[in-house]
Amino acid sequence: MALRAAATPRLVETGLLGLVEHPSMAPGSPYAIDRDGRPFVPAGDGGIVLGVGLGDGVFAHDADHVAPGVCLVHPDPAARLALTAQACLGNPAVVLGGAAAGAPGRVVGKRGEAGRVIVAFAPEVTARLLPGDRVRVAARGQGSRLAGMEAVRVLNLDPSLLAVLPVRVDDDQVAVRVHARLPARLCGNGVGRPAALWDVDVQIDPAGAAAHGGAGLRLGDLVALTDWDARWNHGYRRDAVTIGVVVHGASRVPGHGPGVVAILTGPGERLAADAGAGPDDNLAALLPRMAGTEANA
Amino acid sequence: MRVRTNADRLVTQVLLGEVWPPLADRHPHHVGADGAPFLLPGMGGVTLGVHPGDPATGHGADHLEPGLSVRARDPEANMALQFLATVGSRARLVTGAASGARGVVIGQHAYVLCDFAEADLGRATVGDLVAVEAVGQGLALADHPEVHVKNLAPDVLAAMPGGTLADGRLEVHVTTRVPAEAIGAGSGMAVEYANTDLMGAYAGLAADLSLGLEGLRIGDIVLLEDQDHRFGRGYRPGYVTVGVISTGTCQLHGHGPGPSSILSGPAGAFAIVDDPGQNLGALVGVGAAGEAVARGA
Repeated sequence: MALRAAATPRLVETGLLGLVEHPSMAPGSPYAIDRDGRPFVPAGDGGIVLGVGLGDGVFAHDADHVAPGVCLVHPDPAARLALTAQACLGNPAVVLGGAAAGAPGRVVGKRGEAGRVIVAFAPEVTARLLPGDRVRVAARGQGSRLAGMEAVRVLNLDPSLLAVLPVRVDDDQVAVRVHARLPARLCGNGVGRPAALWDVDVQIDPAGAAAHGGAGLRLGDLVALTDWDARWNHGYRRDAVTIGVVVHGASRVPGHGPGVVAILTGPGERLAADAGAGPDDNLAALLPRMAGTEANA
Repeated sequence: MRVRTNADRLVTQVLLGEVWPPLADRHPHHVGADGAPFLLPGMGGVTLGVHPGDPATGHGADHLEPGLSVRARDPEANMALQFLATVGSRARLVTGAASGARGVVIGQHAYVLCDFAEADLGRATVGDLVAVEAVGQGLALADHPEVHVKNLAPDVLAAMPGGTLADGRLEVHVTTRVPAEAIGAGSGMAVEYANTDLMGAYAGLAADLSLGLEGLRIGDIVLLEDQDHRFGRGYRPGYVTVGVISTGTCQLHGHGPGPSSILSGPAGAFAIVDDPGQNLGALVGVGAAGEAVARGA
């Protein structure tokens, strides 16, 4: 049995414009400081990164906050926040100009602070993109409600992606199959920020990941944050559960790590997570099953 | 604290900021942890009635900043002010009706927070200039190389109980042990800037939000368990951080009373003593203890 969005409210689609980001760094010094006090140059943090995609391990690249797609921004700060708040995982996107004009993609993540939307394209498309290229995002999903399960909130999720999530639905509980269950104490940067705008970083490193349930974690994986409420701001709430998607890879900066965008959140008696690697607990498997995928691709 | 330091080699730098106004936009309400909208004072400007030793929670406020909230107008000068001001640095109003009044820095919160006597706060206003005699960044403990000192004026360290034990550990007295689940907004940020909000201190809100921290007071010396704040703020099992509560109650989910970090290192380098009386007010002679004059001034 699949989840589905309630018939009301009727969702509207907004056509948003994002520009492919150019990475930026603070003036004066290229260094960030890792958790052992060693300086390093963070590479791969935003913009166009080649050779990274859904299904790659979160520690597979010597990069910082690396995403499985191209980051979109907007030069107007308020428009950039609106782009980030309204774009939802699974939304279709299309390149409007430049050498990759007409190529389709899918929103596979977003990031906080100033706001970024992450769009995955085929590798040959990504290779033709340049910073500044214009991308249209067909945003749809915020305001969606779960049919028959009001206590579980849905956010940041295209209704067509909601419909293909790997779930077990009982009379009064939804259980989502996830790659890992991650405890609240791991949540770092992003705590206290609006879950419709920000991902929350999970503070795991290669040495400690297994002890916290994060072994083998991949970009695009479905995960559960336990004792976590993401209805408004990300924060601790005993027995609440948040289901999210891993949208960027690890970081050596203290308080940072693979980022998770919340898609479902609710009390534990209504929302559960079955952990264990499966074939369909990653966006790489789920996106091709979405209704309308062929028409868009 | 009985401990050998490099205090006699530190310099004092005179910085200048101004009492910064509270800020709002056209949409004055924010969303609380239980979903209720609120409009409350707390950040910026002059906040009366709350000093070290007073309860941190229970006020009709959000991100309660006691005393004066101070920034510098030039962005880069402001970063110097925020990074270099320390807990215990002396502050002095140099313009306005309370010009000449002396106070003390109790922490950072993207503002430098300065406690003054209530009578002085009653005459101070937005725009008044505040000189901060910043001293303490670079403070080091000769016999505790694993323990990093942050954001702390040497005379506060000297006034703290504890010190070097025969077994080589550093004895530190704290009022409260804070579990890693409580760490909220501020995780992942530079430890010399702003502070670490603690969740689980939402007096009056839902019980499943509580982590038993509703009794915190402004100025309390607290222990953050499994937190490594030597090079930033992050979760790390086996490390601890000592902080001073510098801000008070929050309604936003993921936020709460916040400590400025003052000591951090591996847990084994510390001998922690639970001591409910430990408060900055008694150490620097401000707030509930009486005069707004730093110890020795």
